[in-house]
Amino acid sequence: MIFAAPWVLLVLAALPLLWWLLRVTPPAPRTEVFPAVRLLLGLPTTEQTPARTPWWLLALRLIAAAAVIVGLAQPVLRAGGELAGSGPIILVIDDGWAAASDWPQRIAAADTVLDRANREARPVRLLTTAPDAAGIAPALTAPLPAIEMRARIATLRPKPWPPDRATAGRALQTATGDGARIYIADGLTHGADWDGFAAGLRAGGAMTVLGADGPQARLLLPPVAEADGLRIRLAQVPRPLPETIGVLAQTGDGRSIARLDLSIPANASGAEAKLTIPAELRNRLTRLVLDGAQSAGGVMLLDEGFRRRPVGMLAGQASTADVPLTGPLFYVRRALSPYAELREGELAQILARSVSVLVLADRVVGDGAERAALAAWVEKGGLLLRFAGPLTAEHPDALMPVRLLGGDRQLGGAMSWSKPAGLAPFASESPFAGLVVPEEVRVSRQILAAPDAMLGARTWASLADGTPLVTQIAMGAGRVVLFHVTANADWSDLPLSGLFVDMLRRLVLQAVGVAGEDATARLAPLETLDGFGQLGPPTPGAAALTGAELGAAPASARHPAGFYGPETGRRALNLANHLPLPAAASVIAGASYAPIGIAGREMALAPWLLAAALLLLAVDLIVALRLRGLLGAIAGLLLLIGLPEARAQDGNPALATRLAYVVAGNAELDLVSLAGLNGLTDFVNRRTNADLADPAAVVLGQTDLSPFPLLYWRVSPESATPDAAAIAALNLFMAHGGIILIDTASGGSGTGFPAGPDPVLQRMAAALVVPILAPLTPQHVLARAFYLLQDFPGRYTGDTVWVQRDQDRSNDSVSPVIIGGNDWASAWAVDAQGRNPYATIPGGPRQRVLAYRFGANLVMYALTGNYKGDQVHVPAILERLGQ
Amino acid sequence: MSARAAEALGARLPALQVAANRVAASVWQGVHGRRRVGPGDSVWQYRPYMQGDETRRIDWRKSAMGDELIVREMEWEAAQTVCLWRDASPSMLWHSKLVTTQKRERADLLLLALAALLLRGGERVRLIGGPRSIGGGGLDRLADDLGRLEPGDGLPPPADLPRHARVVLFGDFLTPPAAIAACVGRIASQSVRGHLVQILDPAEVALPYHGRIRFTGLEREPSALVPRVDGLRDAYRQRLAAQQHSLAAIAASAGWACSLHRTDAAPETVLLALYLALSGDRARR
Repeated sequence: MIFAAPWVLLVLAALPLLWWLLRVTPPAPRTEVFPAVRLLLGLPTTEQTPARTPWWLLALRLIAAAAVIVGLAQPVLRAGGELAGSGPIILVIDDGWAAASDWPQRIAAADTVLDRANREARPVRLLTTAPDAAGIAPALTAPLPAIEMRARIATLRPKPWPPDRATAGRALQTATGDGARIYIADGLTHGADWDGFAAGLRAGGAMTVLGADGPQARLLLPPVAEADGLRIRLAQVPRPLPETIGVLAQTGDGRSIARLDLSIPANASGAEAKLTIPAELRNRLTRLVLDGAQSAGGVMLLDEGFRRRPVGMLAGQASTADVPLTGPLFYVRRALSPYAELREGELAQILARSVSVLVLADRVVGDGAERAALAAWVEKGGLLLRFAGPLTAEHPDALMPVRLLGGDRQLGGAMSWSKPAGLAPFASESPFAGLVVPEEVRVSRQILAAPDAMLGARTWASLADGTPLVTQIAMGAGRVVLFHVTANADWSDLPLSGLFVDMLRRLVLQAVGVAGEDATARLAPLETLDGFGQLGPPTPGAAALTGAELGAAPASARHPAGFYGPETGRRALNLANHLPLPAAASVIAGASYAPIGIAGREMALAPWLLAAALLLLAVDLIVALRLRGLLGAIAGLLLLIGLPEARAQDGNPALATRLAYVVAGNAELDLVSLAGLNGLTDFVNRRTNADLADPAAVVLGQTDLSPFPLLYWRVSPESATPDAAAIAALNLFMAHGGIILIDTASGGSGTGFPAGPDPVLQRMAAALVVPILAPLTPQHVLARAFYLLQDFPGRYTGDTVWVQRDQDRSNDSVSPVIIGGNDWASAWAVDAQGRNPYATIPGGPRQRVLAYRFGANLVMYALTGNYKGDQVHVPAILERLGQ
Repeated sequence: MSARAAEALGARLPALQVAANRVAASVWQGVHGRRRVGPGDSVWQYRPYMQGDETRRIDWRKSAMGDELIVREMEWEAAQTVCLWRDASPSMLWHSKLVTTQKRERADLLLLALAALLLRGGERVRLIGGPRSIGGGGLDRLADDLGRLEPGDGLPPPADLPRHARVVLFGDFLTPPAAIAACVGRIASQSVRGHLVQILDPAEVALPYHGRIRFTGLEREPSALVPRVDGLRDAYRQRLAAQQHSLAAIAASAGWACSLHRTDAAPETVLLALYLALSGDRARR
């Protein structure tokens, strides 16, 4: 550990002063809440407590202060040693394809070097060994401060091409000075120039090589196409342990449709295995990727050359078609099966499945439907490949690229002066251009084309004497190609030579619209790989190249690996095509080696120390508050702020059960109603388990009636007729289980008195939904709800009480309205002195008791419904249960 | 919850019937017989049938013993109203580290337990400053009303109390004695007899603090900075004793009783004392 600003540590000497200061300052007094503080006020004080800060609090504060001081001195943990030399530090970074797999560790290692350089205030020169994206060869930068160099290193990315060891070596040779040289290596030679590069590295000051333990890079080599799959190959620097690595076969949209696990034996420099994959799937592959390897070396792009095209085959005589060595399809099958899927059968059957190429070996196409079907297929893009033969020579049909002369031409033989002819070199516009014509191929028989002005343009290959060997004609999107010889060795040696294979393969390639391997057309870069193996837009330095160059060019900044050419016929340029196999670089004499990615970066302790000091001071604050007894108060305050104001709404009638009376508008009547309900509430609370709150007054149409179980409505001849809103409210109340006790208080009037109550009731209740009524009898639940009652007196007695006649199950058979004239409120009424202000008529305490009992029954009936009615059936239920 | 705890606490004592020494003038009907004919549950007297009596009031079994018809009359019963109050001021919402019970909690518990006993005895209970009186099984409502009382200033608010009711006041009674005397005098002037229960935290009794402490009150009293509490303890205890002495004197002058309860003591003790005090007069009667 070192200190970047060691002079700050001098302040530590001031700590004893702080200790003394803290010690002489008395702490704040403790605060206690004490309700009896009034008794304490003015009491005489006797002596002072010696006020001292406790020793542990003192220690806490001193540690916090020390942490601040040490933190400001900027200690650094795990700092590397001093960098050798005095001049600029030369930092060499391999940024070729092989460095990509552990690139973050490499950048971290470079950052560590920059940290040290920064602390020593030494400039840094950077050399990246691969050419940059614009193709500029590696060169040393000017010496830059480490801070600026850090930004430059942060933008570095591995390149999808190999490093240029030779140029880098020369650049290092020219560098002077004794500054330390640090090389972050990928561990590979990358060709023959390693020794020169190593010499360049050694040319200056002390040399350090940072690298992984053994080269990590792996290279996916071009696969070999086989009949039913791809043989996948991998190259690497031998490693001591066996490993298994997955290879993913991916389509153009990035989906993996197959996976192959490659087992790499210990100390092997490579491995290969066969990926078996159906032809249809194989045609959709665009790349092979090493699973987990983030490197351009782990990506193999597959272009049209790796796609298979189904080829249909049909011979003139099916019985002899496949006879070994003589059958017309024998050689075609041998030539095409590694590259294409072959299908045989009847013509209609073949055309029903999608085929790209149809081979007709000496088969005459019949006129009519067969020819029309074939022509239509060709028009849509099919490639019809025909071979001549005796049948074709006898009956040339119309589906031929050129007009044929009847019969065949014999070259050589006992009766001829001529000798079997060789092949002429392929013309440059022919799809066979570039193929080497073997000397030994001879043609002994052929069919001849009628001379024609177009014949030369339609000829792709010809014999040495100029007669056509392969002619073709474009039809719509497709093409008809005719070999003027047979597909077996009867007429020529061609099927026996390797040229036959190459020619057929190129012809099959034509089938998907590749306009032929035009070696001179320039193919523009379409997509290129970056160093991590991801396809992207072409790099700025990527240049177009011809098809011929593409086959021979190694991947470089000018031609990075990727896809080239038009979208429909793109060609792949792969990194591994012309790359030397990975080889481990030799040890550089005199250099010290260190692994990357093991030791962490150096760590500045200052932020941690300052944070710790802050934490300690926070603890000190809490302790100080606690010493003063304020902690609980503050916590409580915080809690209170968070708590919502919880307060019961007072006066909400829904919070308690209570009786209610309808305000009649007559103060005297209302007083009687209130006093009556007060008395009833008191009686019910005393005698029953019901717990009623103070009665409420309701104004019809204004007060919400829903909280009340029972409404007492005292009507009198002077009462105003309720308005529509009041009637609606009452009807709603009754419909939802409420009970209205309508009291006309007319029981005492007797018959024959004027202004009888019934007209009043009729007027007031005209709009109410009152069910059919019947007199209340002792059999009714209301007469049994709490007390057993025979009659139902109030202040008066004997008046008939009316309740609903029919049982309404929807309302628990509870009568929504009870009408009577016994003036119950007066009988129940209690004044402030607890006396009953209204005498009962005819009188006696018994009548009042019965009035109260009727009230209790009424309240029970309102609260429990016909619960007591159910009890009537208990004996029957018990009997049914067998009790 | 408070009501449940109070009922459990009161369950060990029989139902409390308050001594009603002036039964005849007692206002509320209830279990105290008024020695008069009236509405009630217990038989008061049998008398011969007279013209005009309802036939259903004839006690046929009694009549069958003799020649004449006998009518049964009930005793008019009355109940005593007990007015309860407890101090809800902020100083009650406090407990020291010696106990876990706030003075207010203990006051609530005692009040509700007493109310439960009274309600079981058929008496009527009401809160001073609360809604109207409660009988029967109204303990839950009483607990509900109790929580809604205004905090007040440490003494019961002026209220019209039923004549000859009984009053029980719970509180810490740390306010100046003059204010307490005025309040008690005002209540006693309504022909009401009462009982004061002073509830104190043990820390308020013993002042068990040490060192340099700033004492702050809960009702905006000025704070007191005590440099060394230990030297002050005796003087404080003398002052507290003086306060309690004057409280007892105030109660005695009104003919009331006074008792002290500490929140670290069992609530049954003071409840039993209250029970005896409230029912004692009846025993004397």
